[in-house]
Order: sequence, then structure tokens, then C-alpha cells
Amino acid sequence: MIRIYRQLLVAQIQAAAQYRIQALLWMLFSIIRPVIFLAAWTAVSTAQGGSVGGYTTSDFAAYYIALTIVGHLTTAWNSFEFEFEVRQGRLSPKLLRPLHPLHYSVVENLIWKVTTFLPLMLVCLVIALTFQVRWSGEWWHLALFVPSIVLAAALSFMIGWVVATATFWLQRINTVNTLLQRTSFIFAGQIAPLSLMPAALQVISYSLPFAYILAIPAEILRGGVTLERGLLYLVGQAVWLGLSIVAFRFAWRAGLREYSAVGA
Amino acid sequence: MVRYLRMFRAFAATEFQFEMEYRGNFYLSIFEMFLVIGTSIGAVLIMFGHTTTMNGWTLPEMIVLLGVYYLIQGGVNLVFSPSFERLMEHVRVGTLDFHLLKPVNVQFLVSTRHLRVVRAADLLLGLVVVIVGLLQVGAQIGVAQSLLFALSLFFGVMLVYSLLLGLVTLSFWFVRVENLLAIFWAFTEAGRFPVDVYPLWLRVSLSTIVPIGIAVTAPANAIAGRMDAVGVALLGAGTVLAVGIASALWRRGLRSYTGASA
Repeated sequence: MIRIYRQLLVAQIQAAAQYRIQALLWMLFSIIRPVIFLAAWTAVSTAQGGSVGGYTTSDFAAYYIALTIVGHLTTAWNSFEFEFEVRQGRLSPKLLRPLHPLHYSVVENLIWKVTTFLPLMLVCLVIALTFQVRWSGEWWHLALFVPSIVLAAALSFMIGWVVATATFWLQRINTVNTLLQRTSFIFAGQIAPLSLMPAALQVISYSLPFAYILAIPAEILRGGVTLERGLLYLVGQAVWLGLSIVAFRFAWRAGLREYSAVGA
Repeated sequence: MVRYLRMFRAFAATEFQFEMEYRGNFYLSIFEMFLVIGTSIGAVLIMFGHTTTMNGWTLPEMIVLLGVYYLIQGGVNLVFSPSFERLMEHVRVGTLDFHLLKPVNVQFLVSTRHLRVVRAADLLLGLVVVIVGLLQVGAQIGVAQSLLFALSLFFGVMLVYSLLLGLVTLSFWFVRVENLLAIFWAFTEAGRFPVDVYPLWLRVSLSTIVPIGIAVTAPANAIAGRMDAVGVALLGAGTVLAVGIASALWRRGLRSYTGASA
């Protein structure tokens, strides 16, 4: 397996090298929304005399910069790509290969994130200089962030694949994707840090998986959680990851039967 | 002029029939739009749970702004972006030849030939949001203000149109410009807040490279009575200039088009 992955990595690096500009352009999608909301919250915070619900203007900056990084590292586009592959009939040859299609997209995903990470950090630096950012974390926040971001990225990737399997039944999954994106927009901490949400919405946020992908790793990176809470969050992430893997295996097997039944 | 209007009606009718073939998809798109606008309003409500004003904008004014944002997006997505998507395809494959042979203004044809009829629902929803916001503002809206609003809205759409035309024209030289359009769409999201909340570097890029900020903020300002006739006139002059430059670029690009056989 390790040898296979090494080969795939090399091949994907070569493929990615052809589309350098494209990779950078897609990076903008990770940046723009958090910056927009950071600007808006800065305006709100200024109107309220420098702080809102325990978040100072520089806390907002730290949160949204963390969210930019987390959002970038947890990006997964399989739910969009897979539909296209099924519709174009490109899935069938992939299924004939001995390796599960999932592995190819793991490598694609990793390479994109690795190659765009440095430019992303440069942009974050510019944002950090524009908004007076203040990091209020300890060293163990960073240590906690590492497993948290890995779990978050894996969770986001697996949820993307679960949604992708919906293609087997529905053919077009635009609506499913929109539904998911908008749910994440509200409940993943993109609009506001979770503790600034109305109480009822907070409860929903913590019981859905989306916050475990974005808001929670971002809060950890910002240094906004206690150690006990941080560890608890990690458990939550792991539980959701486990559930999504089970759901994927189940949906993939059922969906594949459906796929061949259509006679594609 | 009448001829072009009649032609546009024919385009719309054809595309409507085409869209109605996929009725399920049509209704789902409308459902998606409700979802998107609903969650966007939710976002604004959550933020205004913590404040009464954002850079001098009150909650009702923000709702109006959001409505304008979807009006402009709806207008652009209804006509221009589906047409331009096909145009890029035509340039790449070489089938633009067929358009060039027709006895009409080519720029008109490539800008309006294809419609995504379902996006008319965005216009309707956007309008509803604007009206709801205005009712909350509670101020008397005079005839002059409504006129300024309509004018600046039209200028806003045309401003975005000229930018899109300019970007798409680049396809004559670079062939693949979908990525540039992707950036454009990424930046349009910034239109959901008034342009004055952004830091300078972002404001410069929003208001000059991507005029969406102006396009959305100006009409919202006009209806709130914060923009007078002079401001709208200036916006109009800017729009005419932008459309002029984009059209010139388009004609220049068309000369570089080599066709399918070349």
C-alpha cells in the first residue's frame, strides 16, 4: 500500500505541476468568505466599542484567519467531481482497477493542499497585518491542533464521499450539495464563532458534523478552548469520522449495485 | 431596437421551453434559491443580534442591500453568464463562425442568446427581500428615490456586464479563461456586505477590478436616500465608460478570432 501511494504521489505531483496557476486561483475560494465575515465582524465590533460577547476585534481576526487555514486544509471537492465522472461514464474504467477510486482522490486532495499551503500562508500574513491580530494560545493548543485538523480533513473528505455516492441514485446532486453547503454556512461557524450564535443554533451546531470540520479546529488553533474541552472536541471529531466511514462503506456498496443495474 | 427586443423574446421563449423539459430540476433550483437567500438573511440576523449598526448600516438597510445583491446576481445569471459560458465554448471549439455569419450585432447575440430562465426566480425573490427591507426601514420612498434606485440598479448590472464581457473576451487570446470567471464568482460574494466595511486593499480590488461592490452598494444607498442624483449620474457615466471600454476590447478580440479551420 505504501508503495502504491508513493507512485500515486509522484504521478499526482507531476499532474499538479501542469496546473499551477489554476491551483492558486482555486485557493481564493478558501480565503474570500472568511475575510468577508472578518471585515463585517470588525465593523460590528467597532460599533460595539471594541468587543462583542467576549471577542475583541483582534480575537475575531485570529478566529477568521484560523478559519481560513482550517477551511483550506479541509477542502474536499469529491461531491462535485464524482457526479461529473458518473455522468461522463468515467467511473466505469476506474472501477475496473484494483485500487478503490477513493485512494486516487486522497492523493489529489493531499497534493493540492501541500502545494498551495505556502501561498495561503502568505495571504494570511497580509490579512493578519491588515487586521490587528492577536494569538492568545498556549503551546499545547498547537499540539492539539495537529490531530484536530487531520481528523477534520478526513471527516470533510469522507462526508464529501458519502454525498458523492448519492449520485448513484439521483444522477444530479446539485441540490444535495447546496443543501449541505448552506447547512455548513450556518452551523459550521462561518457566520460567527459558535459561542456568538443564538443558544438554540449552538445546540444544533454541536450536534451536526459541520462544526467539527471548521469551527472547532479553528477555535483550537486560535487558542480559545481549555485543554479538557479541546480533548472532548477531538473525541467528537473521531466519533463523526467513524460514523462517516461506516456510512460511506454502506452507501458505496449499495450504490454500486444500483450503478450496474442502470447498465452504465 | 424593436427588432432586437423581438429577438430577445424569441431567445427567452426557446430557453423557457428547453428548461421546462427538466421540470424537476427547475423546481429544485427554485428550492435552492430559497435556501441560499434564507440562510443569508439568517446570517445577517445573527450578526445584528449583537449590534444595531454596522458601519452606519441598520438591519433593515442591510436586508435591502442583500436583496439588491440577489437582484444583481439574478440579472447577471439570468442572461449574461449562461450566454458567456456558451461563448467561451464557441471560441474554443470554433463554432463562433455560425454566430458571425448572422445579420445581427454579434456582441448582442453572444451576450443574450442563452438564458437560464429559472434565475428569473432570483430576481423575484431579490425584489421581495428589498421590499421587506424597505417596509422595515419605514421611511417614505418618493418617486425620485425609486427612480434613482432603478437607474443605479440598471447601471450596476451593466457595470458587472462590462467586466464579464472584458473577462470573456480574453478567451480569444488565452482560450481557457473559466478560471478567471471562477475568481470573479468568488469575489462577488463580497457584495453581501456594504463595500465600506472592507479594508482598503480589498475595497480597491472590489470597486475597481470587480465592481460588484459598487454595483450592490449604490442602489441600496440610493433607495435609503444616501445617494443623490449627482452620485447616480456619476455612476452612469462610469458605467457608460466601462461598457465602452469592454465593447472596444471585444471588437479588438474578435479581430484575433481565427475560426474553426484556422
